[in-house]
Amino acid sequence: MDIRLLRPSDIPLIQHANLENLPENYFLKYYLYHALSWPQLSFVAVDVSRPPKTPYDYPKIVGYVLAKMEEEPTDGVQHGHITSLSVMRTHRRLGIAEKLMRQSQQAMVETFNARYVSLHVRVSNQAAIHLYRNTLKFETEKTEPKYYADGEDAFCMKLDLDFIREQIKEAEGAEEDEDSSKKKSSKKKTANGSSSAAETEEQDEGEPVGDVGRDPEAAAAGKGDKKIKVKVGRGLGVGELVEKDESKH
Amino acid sequence: MPQILSTKEANLFRQVIRDYEEKRYRAGLKAAEQILKRNPKHGDTMSMKALIMNAQGKTEEAFNLAKEALKVDFKSHICWHVYGILYRTNKNFEEAIKAYKFALKLEPESQQIQRDLAILQVQTRDYEGYVQSRFAMLKARPQLRQNWTALAIAYHLEGNLQEAERILTTYEKSVSAAPARTDFENSEALLYKNSIIAEQGETERALEHLEQECKKCLDRLAVMELRARYLAELGRKEEAATAYRALIDRNPDHPDYYKRLVEVLGLTAEDEAAQKAIFDEYSTKYPRSDAARRLPLDFLTGNEFRSAAKAYLALMFNKGVPSTFANLKHLYFDSYKKDTLPSLAEEYLQELKDSNTQASSDSSKGEGAALFFLAQHYNYYMSRDLSKALEYVEKAIELDPKSVDFQMTKARIFKHQGDIAKAAKAMDQARLLDTKDRYINTKAAKYQLRNNENEKALNTLGLFTRAETVGGPLGDLIDMQAMWFLTEDGEAWQRRGNVALALKRYHTVFNIFDIWQEDQFDFHSFSLRKGQIRAYMDMIRWEDKLREHPFYFRAALDAVNLYLSMYDKPEGANRANGTKGDNANGEDAAEKKKAAKKAKKEAQKAEREAAERAAKQNPNKAQKDKEEDVKKKDDDPNGVKLAETKDPLGDAMKFLEPLLQFSPKNIEGQIAGFEVYIRRKKYVLAAKCLKAAQALDQDYPKVQEQSATMRKMIGDVIESLPPKVQEVLKAELA
Repeated sequence: MDIRLLRPSDIPLIQHANLENLPENYFLKYYLYHALSWPQLSFVAVDVSRPPKTPYDYPKIVGYVLAKMEEEPTDGVQHGHITSLSVMRTHRRLGIAEKLMRQSQQAMVETFNARYVSLHVRVSNQAAIHLYRNTLKFETEKTEPKYYADGEDAFCMKLDLDFIREQIKEAEGAEEDEDSSKKKSSKKKTANGSSSAAETEEQDEGEPVGDVGRDPEAAAAGKGDKKIKVKVGRGLGVGELVEKDESKH
Repeated sequence: MPQILSTKEANLFRQVIRDYEEKRYRAGLKAAEQILKRNPKHGDTMSMKALIMNAQGKTEEAFNLAKEALKVDFKSHICWHVYGILYRTNKNFEEAIKAYKFALKLEPESQQIQRDLAILQVQTRDYEGYVQSRFAMLKARPQLRQNWTALAIAYHLEGNLQEAERILTTYEKSVSAAPARTDFENSEALLYKNSIIAEQGETERALEHLEQECKKCLDRLAVMELRARYLAELGRKEEAATAYRALIDRNPDHPDYYKRLVEVLGLTAEDEAAQKAIFDEYSTKYPRSDAARRLPLDFLTGNEFRSAAKAYLALMFNKGVPSTFANLKHLYFDSYKKDTLPSLAEEYLQELKDSNTQASSDSSKGEGAALFFLAQHYNYYMSRDLSKALEYVEKAIELDPKSVDFQMTKARIFKHQGDIAKAAKAMDQARLLDTKDRYINTKAAKYQLRNNENEKALNTLGLFTRAETVGGPLGDLIDMQAMWFLTEDGEAWQRRGNVALALKRYHTVFNIFDIWQEDQFDFHSFSLRKGQIRAYMDMIRWEDKLREHPFYFRAALDAVNLYLSMYDKPEGANRANGTKGDNANGEDAAEKKKAAKKAKKEAQKAEREAAERAAKQNPNKAQKDKEEDVKKKDDDPNGVKLAETKDPLGDAMKFLEPLLQFSPKNIEGQIAGFEVYIRRKKYVLAAKCLKAAQALDQDYPKVQEQSATMRKMIGDVIESLPPKVQEVLKAELA
């Protein structure tokens, strides 16, 4: 058993594991959407003990967590969301689900500055509820009636990720202490010369990080003083037929 | 001359475009017709109308109208662009590219056309064209970072790594203010550049770049992993060891980190004790890490192995870990380990008995777990003794008659005994022990399919598929791209002699692979906006060899073999199959005939039912739900037309070509290739397959048979072949 980051090439067998295990299934493209939007957040457990049958075998997936960042958080707070988590019944009791979740939570904070992570779980799924509540310390926020297609209710659960943020800060502090003073001073210099974002990072909580909800104009704004609005074409439609060149405004 | 619209109509035309974009097709059509009433020859409006019709699934009419639009307004870039989009959505990429290029010639400044062209070029892997397009797009909008990144990607894909790196650097230099630490696009672009440096083989420079530029990158795991890798490659062992230790602290269940750590510490296979000490250190530090405890079993030998395995098994049995056997069976290549493991399990049972401890209330732990392990041991092909396996599993079941795992293994033992019907029944019993678990439901259905009970299996699966899906459980499984089901169902139909449904399933698998290939389309632009370039590149590399996946191979090989048997025995749409050796014997002709008749009746019944279902469907409802996604109706839901083919070998080619292209090292594919080509009298290609198969496994039974066939065939026909072909053949067979 091997816990590692999800790769696009894993996806057919992740989809397969999902179909075998859970009633909520998705097109391959939906997995790709996760893998290409937040590649740092999804992890798999792989059975590495299987002798390969052909030169083209793909590692067998025995568990996975498919995670994302909420694109437009209604509460305005950056947070992660667990789309799907599953471990084959043949591979239970090794703590795989917990391990997958912890890896994902860590990356949510590091890469996307997530403040908390949310998920839905069937109210009848005792094992999963136990994992979330007792092991991972999630809290039940509310019950969402008839959330699942078959009419079952879901618990909405939430875990504050500040404890990971604290750990990271601590680790960084320790690292910094080890650094020589020379390194420190040179670092300060660059920081002074740059925009203030890096310095005030701790204060601007809740500000979007990375790409989420971000306008492509940001890159342009960094260069010139005049902001240029550019409409990025959507998929492939006739939207692109009409030249809406907003940069000329 | 194109007609000129009045202001009011021009506004209306813009409305048509908005309607199309927002998928209000009926409104869009109405508006378009309003314009056309007064300007029947307005090419742009005609084109827009065609586009909407295409979206509604009226492909043919759409093409006709778009062609007419081009006739009246040959110089409209909109008409050409629409023409390209029509080809694009109907997957004729070559024609689409041509049309886009025409459009672009007429309107060189159009960003949209340029972008559409670029996306199609990268989709079809025309990297040279893609570089040109991205270059033009960068020139038009150099202020956008993603245009720089995109050009770098284009060069990278083309194989020009230096140029890719140079483009990224040029952009970096053009920015005066340092990007914010939280600038995700910047963070990813830096790591992307780092990967390009490393790909050029310049590890030293890659490390330097990583340490100087990427220290604060937001993808912490990537930075840590890359740094460890570079340090190890550069022989900076001490630092590499520290780096790998940090990674183990982060994830103590990733075996690769331990492997690398052992390597950089310079330990060899003989240093068993020293290696073991490292793992012991981590199993103490991380008691919940499975890797730290289990991996030493791979390299330990003799008594050291024995005592480590004993401790590991005891821990796993006490915890009742069901995957214990699955996690150890790779050790069976070592015969000492293969013998030791079961004797340790026996020992465990004996000690349990001697100590007289109170049996655990959870019977999956302790005794039950050890019995379960032994049952699996004797069921495994390398250590098989099925009567012993059965004995152990019965003991386990006696301990816990409600255990799904135990019951499941019993079914598997029956399967290995060759009693498929009994196995299917046992698996269904296991299912009944936990009807809320989809995993066991899936297994039960799979076994029913193995037992040729297609209808029953579908009913079983229907307990978990979405109830509201049109087409019932089958419709849901197709929608959700359930490859395993489609393949197993097809194989079962094939065994039952229902060629039509078997072909239908294999073709459905084929089509899903087309969808998976098409799925990357949107990401060519999406990923640039998201800035996740490394993940995008991974996706491209994977898509390039998409069809090497065993999911494709198995269904395609089934299809090719079925087509071969159809060619050999052309006896109507429903015939008994003769492709697989395990099936061809046994059945006599009368039975076959009976099976064929039955299959035909079933197919007719299925068709009737499908028609009834379709009739019952409320036509208004579907429309209300999603006006835009008028799905094209399957005009051959039961594969009857597929089975009526006059050219089974020609049809087989569609499946065969990707087999040979993407899985050339799979001998079964080469063998199937030979059989197809020899029947099509493509002797050179047949010889090529044969040669490839010989290179893979000279002693494979089918290979020798084929080489005899080849020699005979060639002997018969060689004189009648063109001299060039004779020459090539002689060379190939030499």
